[in-house]
Amino acid sequence: MKKPRVCIMKTDGINCDEETYYAFVKAGAECRIVHVNQLRKGEEKLASYQILALPGGFSYGDDVHSGKILAVELTSFLKDQLKEFVNAGKLIIGICNGFQVLVRTGLLPEQNLDCIKTTLMVNDSGHFECRWVNLLVEHNHCVFTKGLEGTVISVQVAHGEGKFYTDPATLQEIENRGQVVFRYAGTDGRPTVLYPYNPNGSLNAIAGICDSTGRIMGMMPHPERYVEKTQHPNWRRLPGNTLPHGMAIFKNAVEYALQL
Amino acid sequence: MIQEVRVTVKDGIPDKKGEDVLYEINHALGIKNVEKVRTARVYRFEGIGKDDAAYLAEKLLAEDVFQFYRINGPVIEGAEVILEVAYKPGVMNPEAASLIKSAADLGISGLVAADSCWEYGFYGKEITGAEIERIVNSLLVNATVEYVVKNPPTTLIIHGTPGPTKIIPIREMSDEELIELSRDKLFLSLEEMKVIQNYFTGIQRDPTDCEIETIAQTWSEHCVHKTFKARLVVDGIEKKPLLKRLKDATEEISHPLVLSAFVDNSGVMEFYDGMAICGKVETHNSPSAIEPYGGAMTGSGGVFRDIVGTGQGAKVVASTDMFCFAPPHTPREHIPPGCLHPHYLLRRVVAGVRDYGNRMGIPTNNGSVHFHRDFRAKPSVIVGAYGILPAAGCRKGKPEAGDLVVALGGRTGRDGIHGATFSSGEMTDRTIEVNSSAVQIGHPIEEKRMFDAILAARDEGLIRAITDCGAGGFASAVGEMGSETGARIALDRAPLKYTGLSPWEILLSESQERMILAVAPEHVNRLFEICRGYNVEATVLGEFTGDHYFTATYEGRVVMNLDMEFLHNGLPQRLLKASWKRPCHAEPGEATTVNWSGLYSQVLSHLNVCSKEPIVRLYDHGVQGTNALPPFGGINGDGPNDAVILTPILGKPYGMIISHGLNPVLNTIDPYYGSLWAATEAASNAVACGANPNEMVLIDNFIWPFPDEELLGALDMAVDACVDFARATGMPFISGKDSLSSTYRGKDGTVIKIPPVLCISAFGRIPDVSRSVSTDFKETGSHIVLVGYRNPNEMAGSVYYEILGATGNNLPRINMRLLKKVLETVYGAINSGKLLACHDISEGGLAASLAEMCFGGDIGAAIRIPGDEKAENFFFNETAGCFLAEVPAVLNPAEIFGEVPYKVIGKTVPGRFITADQSGQPLFAVDLEELKEAWLKPMTEVFR
Repeated sequence: MKKPRVCIMKTDGINCDEETYYAFVKAGAECRIVHVNQLRKGEEKLASYQILALPGGFSYGDDVHSGKILAVELTSFLKDQLKEFVNAGKLIIGICNGFQVLVRTGLLPEQNLDCIKTTLMVNDSGHFECRWVNLLVEHNHCVFTKGLEGTVISVQVAHGEGKFYTDPATLQEIENRGQVVFRYAGTDGRPTVLYPYNPNGSLNAIAGICDSTGRIMGMMPHPERYVEKTQHPNWRRLPGNTLPHGMAIFKNAVEYALQL
Repeated sequence: MIQEVRVTVKDGIPDKKGEDVLYEINHALGIKNVEKVRTARVYRFEGIGKDDAAYLAEKLLAEDVFQFYRINGPVIEGAEVILEVAYKPGVMNPEAASLIKSAADLGISGLVAADSCWEYGFYGKEITGAEIERIVNSLLVNATVEYVVKNPPTTLIIHGTPGPTKIIPIREMSDEELIELSRDKLFLSLEEMKVIQNYFTGIQRDPTDCEIETIAQTWSEHCVHKTFKARLVVDGIEKKPLLKRLKDATEEISHPLVLSAFVDNSGVMEFYDGMAICGKVETHNSPSAIEPYGGAMTGSGGVFRDIVGTGQGAKVVASTDMFCFAPPHTPREHIPPGCLHPHYLLRRVVAGVRDYGNRMGIPTNNGSVHFHRDFRAKPSVIVGAYGILPAAGCRKGKPEAGDLVVALGGRTGRDGIHGATFSSGEMTDRTIEVNSSAVQIGHPIEEKRMFDAILAARDEGLIRAITDCGAGGFASAVGEMGSETGARIALDRAPLKYTGLSPWEILLSESQERMILAVAPEHVNRLFEICRGYNVEATVLGEFTGDHYFTATYEGRVVMNLDMEFLHNGLPQRLLKASWKRPCHAEPGEATTVNWSGLYSQVLSHLNVCSKEPIVRLYDHGVQGTNALPPFGGINGDGPNDAVILTPILGKPYGMIISHGLNPVLNTIDPYYGSLWAATEAASNAVACGANPNEMVLIDNFIWPFPDEELLGALDMAVDACVDFARATGMPFISGKDSLSSTYRGKDGTVIKIPPVLCISAFGRIPDVSRSVSTDFKETGSHIVLVGYRNPNEMAGSVYYEILGATGNNLPRINMRLLKKVLETVYGAINSGKLLACHDISEGGLAASLAEMCFGGDIGAAIRIPGDEKAENFFFNETAGCFLAEVPAVLNPAEIFGEVPYKVIGKTVPGRFITADQSGQPLFAVDLEELKEAWLKPMTEVFR
């Protein structure tokens, strides 16, 4: 069977490319790590891929704003390719720094490459933080979380600028259209604004959103860091048949892309 | 003209940086007159007009969702005082390159330079000028690299004219003149200066500044380890040089897994599937003492380059950090002039390690922080890095005549000049002033992309040899690499950050993020192509020659022509005397009645025992997806583990285990047993989570006060302990480093010496990480077993004694006859799945280990103290090489531990109490909640 092709974007300071590569390969995809220089030069085309993954890291040092310099580069040089990619019904996932890039290109929340309507600000704690959190998966049309709706998954966050923030009207729109994919949850599995369960103070406990088609998704936590059992900090305490919680996200993407 | 763009958050949106600064002003400085702080980013652009600046503000600098901006005008209004803090001209601001790149991406032309900095507005009617000055000096500005902008710059371009190459008339110098030449700059002894003088007298010319500087750095303690190579007379009897003893022990052990020891930038051992793992641990004490953020960053950056510079190139998979400071709440008047306060040092060092490792995508997942008042003389900042590489490429080739000298990575600036020689000197009240150019701001993104390029080049077989440009810059890297061939480089080819560097400055600059490669001429085009793909600058500086001279030219003129033989072998071997005298420390008085819950909390809240979780959470320990045993685990994520276990090959069960041990205070009692303790602790930490003691190797780091006869005696004993430990356990040392300058000398005659630090790091392999354990108790009803030999009366140097106000003399003496068997037994028990949890015993004793296991499992414990033991000693003895093991109720501990000393000391129980009884009498019941609060408090206060 033909495997879907994933373009894992790389540039200066992106550093979660290898584990994202591993997660997609494990899910059954064929991956290539593509430097943004190769896309700019035309050595690589987004059109040859079905999935675009923007991994975590500190692209260009997160100078000015996290993900900003890469977002400017993408909207300056790859606007047409991105539009074509999205219009062809393909998938985009942005994790951590990749989420920051997606909101700063305007691809999230509305596929609008000129318009930034939401942002990810400095955590309420004021600093970078790495810890495991619970996420409640919302019921919506997001391609990446099919079958996970209503469950609580365990994933790691590692960021300093992850507070989801927007104006009240946009927030309402995002909620009304069911674009919230993940919310930080407490030990009881319910959304929370309390630190450290909500590690950054995100509005409405939002940890990840998708566009109105459900095909573009961004999230601050790192599902690619939980695709093997032993990656969980307490795997020794978990039942032997526990499946790594991050895996379903990559599998959903691969299965969807197979239909393209 | 320069366009200024100021950006700040809109009203109603929290200004996090402002809030942080206000908190520090109110709490750390105790200044209450400041009511609010607002901050703004200031961006400056040279060569563009106002419209372009506005376009940049819209598209790049300010996000309308939460920010607003103004061009050439203020954004902070109504503040009593507004001031701007920027990097000094010449200190490279890493953000500048991103601003220029993004402006180009946005189609702005004409931009010639850019910069960014912070502006602070202080609100509060009563603020005084003196208070602002204190805030600036203590919180906002490190005068080494930053300044308060009084007049906005008229240009951002740094111009300069290189000075001429000077001839140093060394042949005619008197002894006094030689000493003067060496002071604050070369850090060589008079004897060494005379060797140089004689050499140039012999060849009938005077040296150039390039030559004398290159000799000084090559001969610096930092680079050449004169003390460790010296002939040593101990109490009148000559012994083998220290380094030779360590190397001989390694050779003698001849461990089958060791692939390279002491010869490369890191030590290498075999892993699985044709791969090898390597480790290196470095210190960065001197730079961190004067500019902790930059110092720690460049420390991390340097040790990462040691890994990538191993063999033909390795991938960095882990970073570790071990720090020693004075207590963070040391009164300011106790800090000697010229030294920085430990509260500031601790926070800034942590921030430096955080920002470098996190941005590089290297997990920082093992470390510790130790406190002792005498570290106010100089902190110890120890950073380690570990890597993975193909075993076939674990040894580097030798450069051949005709190979090209290629410089990769960052540009060369004036930063870091004299780092190697400066690190070899003691701290004085002049240190900060004289050596400010020895530190710089690291640029992890530059290093990350360089590593990406190097690994791609390695995979194509393009690299003959590679080394890091660390201390001593090009002089050291090229000089070392070409020591057997000779090398000729053109200094004017080196890409510079700005004009005006003299040839000797280019040669000696320690600008970070640079590597030197030896590349065969036929490979150079492909190498350059790869580098361009990763936005990495690569330059051919010259070639390896075959004439055995180290030659440098500048604009066609020869500015250095040194015989490699003299450079590398001309330094006379030192003859040093050593003699250690046993000090007599005060013994504690007999404690009368014991308030057990108070005492237990006091031990857990001791700085050397308390939870370091607030620090660990600042580091990304999960990046790369390899963590199979994280720094903290357990039900609530707050139970500390003993070591880290990684699966560096994703999808394979192979584990790499990394741990360390140190205990400086024991070395002040007896350096031999203190050092045995450190090595035992390192090994025990690894074994406690499942490492195989027969597949482990060690790294030593000695951080000593300046070694006089007494301290050299201590060093001699510490090295003997290392050798004895290696022989007894079969764990060889494969890499090491010493830093022997941690003494402070004040103008008024004050001398402060740090407690001697021996940090032992251990790493090893296991075939399957699923056969490993964490420290958190897993179930109720389990046996709690104390495994290992200890004499509970050996209490000297313990946290408990320190609480009683004494150090004592009777310190833990590890039983080397039993240790190996104990380690093997614990490993066997874990490997066969018989233990549910295991934790080794260290500072805070059994009491601390037990509490941590309870915290992690959210489970209580009921302990029975043996009738013949003193309860305080039972709980607070700190003998390393002992373990607490959780054995399931259904198993018989005697069948698991029967061959080594062990005691079943109690059971895990439901509820949230630790209870103890002795001879049928209840002794105490302490609430875990109370203990945890005490244990979490100290670092939470410092890191908020």
